[in-house]
Amino acid sequence: MTGIEVAIDGIDGPAGPMVAAVAFGIEPGASLALIGESGSGKTLTAKSLVGLLPGGFGARGVLRVDGRAHPLDATDAAWRRVRGREVSLLLQDPFTSLSPVHRCGPQIAWTLEAKAGRRLPKRELDLAVAKRLAEVNLPARVARAYPHELSGGMRQRVAIAAALASDPRLLIADEPTTALDASNQAEILDLLRQLQLERGMAMLLISHDLGLVRGRTDDVLVMRHGEVVERGATATVLSSPEHAYTRALIAADPVLALDAERPDDALGNDADLGVAGRAPLISATGVVKRFGLRTVLDGVDLSIAPGQVVGVVGESGSGKSTLARCIAGLEREDGGSIVFDGRPLAPGRRSRTPEQMQIVFQDPYSSLNPMMTIGAILREALGVGGRRPDEVPAMLELVGLPADAAAKRPAQLSGGQRQRVAIARALAPRPRLLICDESVSALDVQVQAQILDLLGRLRDELDIAILFISHDLAVVRRIADTVTVVWQGHVVEHGSCAQVLDQPSEDYTKLLVAAARRDTTGRTTVA
Amino acid sequence: MTAALGPVGVGFRSRRRIPATIVACLVVLAVALLAVLLGPLLFPDATKQDILSSLMPAGSPGHPLGTDELGRDILALTVAGAASALVGPVCVAVGSMLLGILLGTLAGYERGPLDFAISRWTDLLLALPVLLAAIVVSGVFGGGYWTTVALLILLFSPSDIRIVRAGVLEQAARPYIEAAQMLSLSRWRVMFRHILPNVSSLVITNAMLNVAFALVAFSSLSFLGVGVPPGTADWGRQLTDNRAIMFDNPAAVIVPAVLIIAVACCVNLVGDWLGQRLTRSGGVA
Amino acid sequence: MLAVRVLGTAAILFVLSIIVFSMLHLAPGDLVKTLLGTRPASPEAVAAIREQYHLDDPLPVQYLRWLGGVLSGDFGESIRLQTSVSDAIAARLGLTLALCGLAFAIALAVGIPLGVQSAVRAGGVLDRAGTTLGVIGLSAPTFAVGLLLLYVFAYYLPIFPVYGGGRGPLDTLYHLVLPAVTLAAGLGAIVLKLTRTAMLRELDADYVTSARARGIPESRTRRLALRNAAIPIVTGASLLLTFLVGGTVLAETTYALPGLGTLLQDSVLFKDLAVVQALTLLVALVIAMIALLADLAYLMLDPRVRDQGGAA
Repeated sequence: MTGIEVAIDGIDGPAGPMVAAVAFGIEPGASLALIGESGSGKTLTAKSLVGLLPGGFGARGVLRVDGRAHPLDATDAAWRRVRGREVSLLLQDPFTSLSPVHRCGPQIAWTLEAKAGRRLPKRELDLAVAKRLAEVNLPARVARAYPHELSGGMRQRVAIAAALASDPRLLIADEPTTALDASNQAEILDLLRQLQLERGMAMLLISHDLGLVRGRTDDVLVMRHGEVVERGATATVLSSPEHAYTRALIAADPVLALDAERPDDALGNDADLGVAGRAPLISATGVVKRFGLRTVLDGVDLSIAPGQVVGVVGESGSGKSTLARCIAGLEREDGGSIVFDGRPLAPGRRSRTPEQMQIVFQDPYSSLNPMMTIGAILREALGVGGRRPDEVPAMLELVGLPADAAAKRPAQLSGGQRQRVAIARALAPRPRLLICDESVSALDVQVQAQILDLLGRLRDELDIAILFISHDLAVVRRIADTVTVVWQGHVVEHGSCAQVLDQPSEDYTKLLVAAARRDTTGRTTVA
Repeated sequence: MTAALGPVGVGFRSRRRIPATIVACLVVLAVALLAVLLGPLLFPDATKQDILSSLMPAGSPGHPLGTDELGRDILALTVAGAASALVGPVCVAVGSMLLGILLGTLAGYERGPLDFAISRWTDLLLALPVLLAAIVVSGVFGGGYWTTVALLILLFSPSDIRIVRAGVLEQAARPYIEAAQMLSLSRWRVMFRHILPNVSSLVITNAMLNVAFALVAFSSLSFLGVGVPPGTADWGRQLTDNRAIMFDNPAAVIVPAVLIIAVACCVNLVGDWLGQRLTRSGGVA
Repeated sequence: MLAVRVLGTAAILFVLSIIVFSMLHLAPGDLVKTLLGTRPASPEAVAAIREQYHLDDPLPVQYLRWLGGVLSGDFGESIRLQTSVSDAIAARLGLTLALCGLAFAIALAVGIPLGVQSAVRAGGVLDRAGTTLGVIGLSAPTFAVGLLLLYVFAYYLPIFPVYGGGRGPLDTLYHLVLPAVTLAAGLGAIVLKLTRTAMLRELDADYVTSARARGIPESRTRRLALRNAAIPIVTGASLLLTFLVGGTVLAETTYALPGLGTLLQDSVLFKDLAVVQALTLLVALVIAMIALLADLAYLMLDPRVRDQGGAA
């Protein structure tokens, strides 16, 4: 019999069982997506199939490749004969999965020699490497480049060429595009799909992003807490999910949600631009910021009215975060003026008070002091605002956390819970402006939706103004009233959320919107 | 995904039980501490010379480890010597840790000219090996035990300053520090309430290892005849005094040599273990 | 980047030279008496000394004169040995270099393979033995190891000579075995620890997992990791050198070898300041040079830094 048969009886870690029994098959030339959030056991499943589980973890079960059985608990020596020829693993981050001190050519060549089982003559090797590079649409000169000289997308292509150089029967790709820019993601996934079809190879694509696999895999398997909750043809599962968890996953996916109607589209009209109605709470005019010779902000204007949510979108490096940091006083602008409630603010933190504005950062893992309890963190922030320490339970309740969280340390909380604490801390001094700098980007899609709901609710309850910085148009669309598009330190387009994201008038905005709808390219190629 | 697995795996690898080796080390260190505290009480006249009973071999009546050339009892001298051999190094480690915390935090958080001055100062001190500088300075300028302690604090401090500075620099770039700045907290509060606890595991571990290094440096100096004045009960001094009688009474050399090695090993092992424990439980990955 | 480092090194050496020069004037006791040494302090002799050392010139002039001498290899006279300092150093340099070289070779030959194997089989028997040896090597002062080895080899296994430097190259080498082993104990422990730590980190890196996952043989994977680990190992070279300087003094004193270490030790105790000044400066210079070389090696080993260095 041909194809891949996987029967895992279970994967155990030092803390007990991590993955329950799971079985699936992949036909030659077919692909299966394994979807799950972090902690669902999907990466453990992937690593168990190449015998590279981390220390302390063990798997029971069997992997069958074209009928050849490979027990999952085999010795490392036995696995070495399986890895490469039968199964190959492509890792998430192309910035770390290639050796930084070796050129790209040899890294592909080693796989070729490992497959041949002997040293190959240099000329033959060079030709073979060039062929492999051509397969992933890279020129032969890449062989002489060091990984750091290549872009993220090119590196991942090199990693794919290296992983496929042993011509495996099964390729496992573990979140192969998570570390890449949106524009590269679609290309890499389409390349993987194309190579897999051409070679008649089976592929197991692991992802947390349902929208990403649409049209790129034949079947899908949804995992949660180490168990499979739903399986089926990708199109069927996406269009008519049976399990409640899958439905939640689809509903929360911002990519899929980009097409959806805004829950309260009444807000999306021009009357709500706010500037006309109420005097701006903060207005930045002609803000300029340079880092050395590089001009990051080149005369940016922005104003926010009380109770208004203003989204600022742009790619990484566009200057959107620097703008937020200048407004917050964490960076000193080199030119322009920032006026808060009619009073101009000098550059830097010194001229600002905690009651004016607070910021919620991107990474919930590093934005809380790991040595302080949640209670201590909130008490400190309350004290700054002149509030009493016994308001901690009320603050926790406000952001939807249980009262017993006060005694915990950040390490004991999940990413979403930590971000709630960060929001509570930011709200404690009763700021009039809340700056969210990519505040939901590091979170799982479901948690993302919850935090966005929370922010929306807080805006309504507290009449707080929100400056929402994000690279993710779908997220901005869910929360913002107006959108400002920033590109290379300039404002490219500005207007109501619906207007800018649905009928963009500038070319750059059109490009951004098209990149955000990356799933559509896949849909058209396969359908 | 793997990152998310990390804490789980680490959490269960760190056993609450203290390994047997560490228990053994702690026992050795406790005995050494007893010797430091009780040595002067037990053997108040360990350094009294008695030419009549010089060079007695180990096992002689009244002198289980024999005597040296000057008739001093090796056992008494060794127990009494613990204080001189161990108190100095601990003071050196603690002193250079405090200096490191102060200067390192200031340099790492304030940056600017202060950082430049402190960093160049450490560069200068690091340009010469500790032992060489100590030999030259205390040899040429003389000075007793506490002068040597002060000198070694100065010479050890660059490593502490650098470690604290690097730790503070790393922490200061983290968003939780910017969040503290958003609350307009005072710079001292940010430095010592927010940053310092997060570098404390680094600092404490380094101080432990410095005790071992200072012990080695201290005994090396007294072996070379600088630092500890002649006639003092001190392990390093004993070695240099008794080198000549190594074959008459081997215990006079071997016992202090083994003690120095054993105590330094135990301090090193406990320091390493403490470092691993602290980084695991600190939550700063 | 390198230019900045060179300038920084030059600045440090300049400041050190001032400190070293000041040593003569800051040392306790009467300067002229110190310079006279054992000679009688007759008024003529005192005048001659003042004349010879230009003690009546202003201090900056004295410093420049002294620095000029140092730069042309003239470190003055040793009052203890009654020869020029450069001759005294030259006569003993060979032995110290041989000792350091031998100790270095032993330390690398043992430390690197043991460190690699310890990391590859972390937690195994070899690793635990290696770690134990490493801790002892790091903790044991050189002279304590030296005295213990001396006792063992002079008493139980008299196969190595225990004192002195020997005559002729082969005999010298034979005499240097024990001191070199003594010195290598500490050096090797540092090499072992650096190698093990670096290898452990590299073997845990994604690119190693990725190499294993595509079937690349373990031997190749290990070489790949060692090549990456070479960067932190080389950067740790200054640590070795710092240890080596102190260790040489101790090892030479323990084994009564007529090298630079004992020269320094004797000169310090005798307050033979010209020799102390010369040796201190020499060590600072060597350390600075090796640190620069380590930086250069770092540039050669890491293509990422190389590119940044080229751009800046």
